[in-house]
Amino acid sequence: MLVVSLVATLLGRLWYLQVLAAPQFRAAAELNNVKDVVTEAPRGEILDDAGRPLVNNKPALVVSVDRIALSRQPQQGKLVLQRLSHVLQVPYTKLNDETTPCVYVKTRHVHNGKVTTTVGVKVNPCWSGSPYEPVPVSQLRPTLAATRRALVIQEMSEDFPGVTVALSAVRHYPKPDGALASAMLGYIGPISSTALAQLSPQQQQIERNTQVGLTGLEASYEKYLHGKPGVKQVSVDHVGAVTGVLKNTLPTPGDDIVTNIDAKAQADLEKQLQNAINTARHSGFSADYAAGVVLNVRTGGVVAMASDPTYPPSAFVPSISGKEYTKLKNEKGSPLVDKAFESAAAPGSTFKPISSSGLIKDGTMSINGAYDCPQNFQNRHNFDGEAGLGFIPLRTALIVSCDTFFFALGNTDWNRDSALVRAHKKPREGVQRMAHAYGYGEPVGLDLPSGEVATGHIADRANTLLNWKANKANYCAGAARRPKGSYLQQIDADNCKFGYIFLPGDQMNEDVGQGTVTVSPLQEAVAYAAIANGGTVFEPRIAKAILSPTGKVIKRIKPQVRGHLPLPKADLDYIRNAMYGVTTSQSPPGTAVSAFAGFPMNKVLIGGKTGTAELSGTSQNGSWFGSFGGPAGGKPQFVTVIEVNKSNQGAISAAPFVRNVWDDLYGFGGNKPAFPNGVPPTKLPTIRVQSAAHSHKSSGTAGSTPPATSSPASPGTSTGALGMPPALGVRFEQREPRA
Amino acid sequence: MTDWSESTRAAPVSLRRESLAAKALDRESLLRQLDWVLVGAVTALCVIGCALVWAATKPQGLGSSYLKKDVLNIVIGVGLAAVACLVDYRTLRAYTPVLYGASVVGLLVVLSPLGQTVNGAHSWIGLGGGFEIQPSEFAKIAVVLGIAMLLSEKREGRAEPTTQDIGLCFGVSFFPVLLILLQPDVGSIMVFGFIIFGMLALSGISGRWVAGMLVAAFLGILVIVHLHLLHHYQIARLQSFEHLDSKNNASAQGVGFNQAQARIAIGHGGVWGQGLGNGSQTNGQFVPEQQTDFIFSVAGEELGLVGAGLIVVLSGIVMWRALRIARLAEDRFGMLVGVGIVCWFGFQIFENVGMNLGIMPITGLPLPFVSYGGTSMFASMIAIGLLQNVRVRSVR
Repeated sequence: MLVVSLVATLLGRLWYLQVLAAPQFRAAAELNNVKDVVTEAPRGEILDDAGRPLVNNKPALVVSVDRIALSRQPQQGKLVLQRLSHVLQVPYTKLNDETTPCVYVKTRHVHNGKVTTTVGVKVNPCWSGSPYEPVPVSQLRPTLAATRRALVIQEMSEDFPGVTVALSAVRHYPKPDGALASAMLGYIGPISSTALAQLSPQQQQIERNTQVGLTGLEASYEKYLHGKPGVKQVSVDHVGAVTGVLKNTLPTPGDDIVTNIDAKAQADLEKQLQNAINTARHSGFSADYAAGVVLNVRTGGVVAMASDPTYPPSAFVPSISGKEYTKLKNEKGSPLVDKAFESAAAPGSTFKPISSSGLIKDGTMSINGAYDCPQNFQNRHNFDGEAGLGFIPLRTALIVSCDTFFFALGNTDWNRDSALVRAHKKPREGVQRMAHAYGYGEPVGLDLPSGEVATGHIADRANTLLNWKANKANYCAGAARRPKGSYLQQIDADNCKFGYIFLPGDQMNEDVGQGTVTVSPLQEAVAYAAIANGGTVFEPRIAKAILSPTGKVIKRIKPQVRGHLPLPKADLDYIRNAMYGVTTSQSPPGTAVSAFAGFPMNKVLIGGKTGTAELSGTSQNGSWFGSFGGPAGGKPQFVTVIEVNKSNQGAISAAPFVRNVWDDLYGFGGNKPAFPNGVPPTKLPTIRVQSAAHSHKSSGTAGSTPPATSSPASPGTSTGALGMPPALGVRFEQREPRA
Repeated sequence: MTDWSESTRAAPVSLRRESLAAKALDRESLLRQLDWVLVGAVTALCVIGCALVWAATKPQGLGSSYLKKDVLNIVIGVGLAAVACLVDYRTLRAYTPVLYGASVVGLLVVLSPLGQTVNGAHSWIGLGGGFEIQPSEFAKIAVVLGIAMLLSEKREGRAEPTTQDIGLCFGVSFFPVLLILLQPDVGSIMVFGFIIFGMLALSGISGRWVAGMLVAAFLGILVIVHLHLLHHYQIARLQSFEHLDSKNNASAQGVGFNQAQARIAIGHGGVWGQGLGNGSQTNGQFVPEQQTDFIFSVAGEELGLVGAGLIVVLSGIVMWRALRIARLAEDRFGMLVGVGIVCWFGFQIFENVGMNLGIMPITGLPLPFVSYGGTSMFASMIAIGLLQNVRVRSVR
């Protein structure tokens, strides 16, 4: 009886384990035995319009720690880690923490009877990747010092069991012609937990230690650049030693992005922005920053875009230190913000072509009329106290940039709208509507993460009220707190009481690009391109096409048209012609004539508009010059805009450097032209492909044979400072557990 | 001591007086009288054991060397069983004190510098050439025979063992248990406990005694734990059993690791198993000691419910036949030997399979006839020989 019951007990338990609970144990056994070893895919390159890489990959020696090998050593390999910490000059505890696999702890919360479970990381600095992958510990920065340290470890490998020195790929910036393009390119970093959470559980396993684009083109074209990591499924035994390869999928390299950027134009623009700052500072101005854009008016392609001061694009490789980041963040001119597209400022008189369009459109003004340009209008004097010119046509007003001309028209505009409002009708607000049509106060549609692109602001009655409601408390608090009678206190007190009213002065200020109008240089470039090309407002594009690593076209990025200006052709032609007068007219004297003195207008005709915006709290100006130009007698090809913050008038601090950019673009003054025929290439660059390039396509159960490590070498791909043959994989990073 | 010398003079109860040689020649009658069901079950267990030992040691890169040694152990074991069967157990009874003395000496040698430590237990004597023996296995036979002798000695004509007899039984057990406690080998001590308890309980002592022993055992465990007589790892292994159902333990490389991995292996097998030599848990050596204490997990993974169940059923048959032999024994000595062996095998089988299945704590006990291990095989085979001996001489 006893025997029967004992046997029955054992058989019952056996039945439970092997039949009832079998699926659970089958899964557990698989989890035990099958491990994924991820091989990062080489990231795609970002090329300029001629195929010169702005970003590619460079081999670097990476020191990695194999935790499983260490675990088999006495004291879990403490001695080796200590030796390593000495060579790498990293504290032992940091090294140990960073190489210890993260412990994920499930926490249950009970809230109002609902149970939620969150998964957190127990020890904070820890290795989030697979414990079966070696943990990279050395700085990936391909510097001489890092390389030297890696070589020391490699030479004394018997002192470093479980430590490997392997070749890996890091982001590299060849800077063709010296072009940086830092903000546009962006940088990569470890995938965020939120981005990871959006992937399938299987993908999460594969990608949890991957690097992804965090900003700029690296982020917006992430899905093309990233490639597909290779996954080697290995069976492992109880100590993690590999016993066999079950499946081996080789990595698929990321696609390359060809941009509209021309490295030479980009480098020239960056150089001219520095010149502008240096020149203004030489004259005693603060010149905190300068920003500029060169746009292809026919496609909306971004030929060059820059901001100065800036940072080297390699600042984030492999990661930026907190100290360095804080320094860049607090530096004068805040280099981390690209003022060409990430921030907006008052454009000054460069807004007048836009306000003119609006005033014409809503009938306040006509191109055939003449309007007064007095010295003062309602206590507002003309720019720099210039004398009145009497009744003049719009053309003259634009060429000489008469402010009172626009003040008076703005006042008329406001009175008419005010009457409409009193009659409970909708105000026309023609200037505001036209500004939105030009793309001001609207999302730009640039192919960068939208959070990085400024929309600017166009004040009108509705949003003034909304803003006042949102900020009233601040204004009133400021009015009470600030020293009574001070400038800022008076503004706050005024805003506190009357901030909801869109005053006639607001409209007048707006029409000359002051006050509550803010735009980014990129937005101005898009607007000027519309004036130049006959009214087409583009969504600008940095990228032009996506190419496979073998050079096949995956996708062409077509110009995107946002809309067309609601302005008759004759009116737009009139405004454009007036703007040619700004650079060429002797009488009336164009504000930018002196800046373009000696420029071969008979070859390339440039039109534009100067802008000098008053800045609050300083007597220095926001200095702007927006321009378009192309072969004389033909259609405009490019737009160039430069803004120089805290400097002299637009005609002095911005226009000359815009002119220099034009010189550089067309190769005047002994320069090499950016484009041989003055037109950006429409054909895509051809990428040289090595014969071995196709080998990466093969995949399958390759067993222990190493995957192909050669790759298509793009123009400019070097064999690396370390003298490695290209076959060692500029593009491949191979990580394998050691048996 | 005087009792034992008297026992040598005690006349055998059997009326047959053939010489040993003559008995050996009388093959036909002896062979006919053997319990062939028991032989068949043990043979099947040995065959399955060989296959599992091969499957468990192959992934360790040991080839078939363990299989060869296992076969050799079985051959030697069968030889020892034959001797244990052929010598009349009543003669054997006369030599019990010698056997007992030898096993105590063996246990003492273990504690000398000749002893070796395996998995925390100092239980082995190295014989050189890679051979080693575990005297505690032989001590099980000695204690079974010793207690059987004591309890049957003055039994004739009396109702129940005297307090003195019981005291002597504890005395006889005391030395081996003490010596094994010093090794320490908790599993073997538990086996001894069950042997003593089972043999005493079935010898006709009063219920008072049975209850008293249970209470004493309970108090003994408390004292052992509180006086820190057990090593840390032993308590941890026993405790890990309690926490097994909390899943955290399964993934940690902690004390519950062995058992968790064993359960995964068994669960992975399903009904039909992964096939001999195909178990990923076994091939990855996730279960420690998979050719010895945890060999049942290999059966579970590679042979499935069918194979592992067969082992349980065959082991059950062994116990059933042993019980039957004890019941049919013609004298108390034979009966008590049978009972002792049933208690020994019964506890060891249930404990070993139970710990593999996660329903018993982990101790270092092998699965009789299946686990790899020479001394265990020899001792188990001798036990089978003794059972056959009792049976052969009970059948008329």
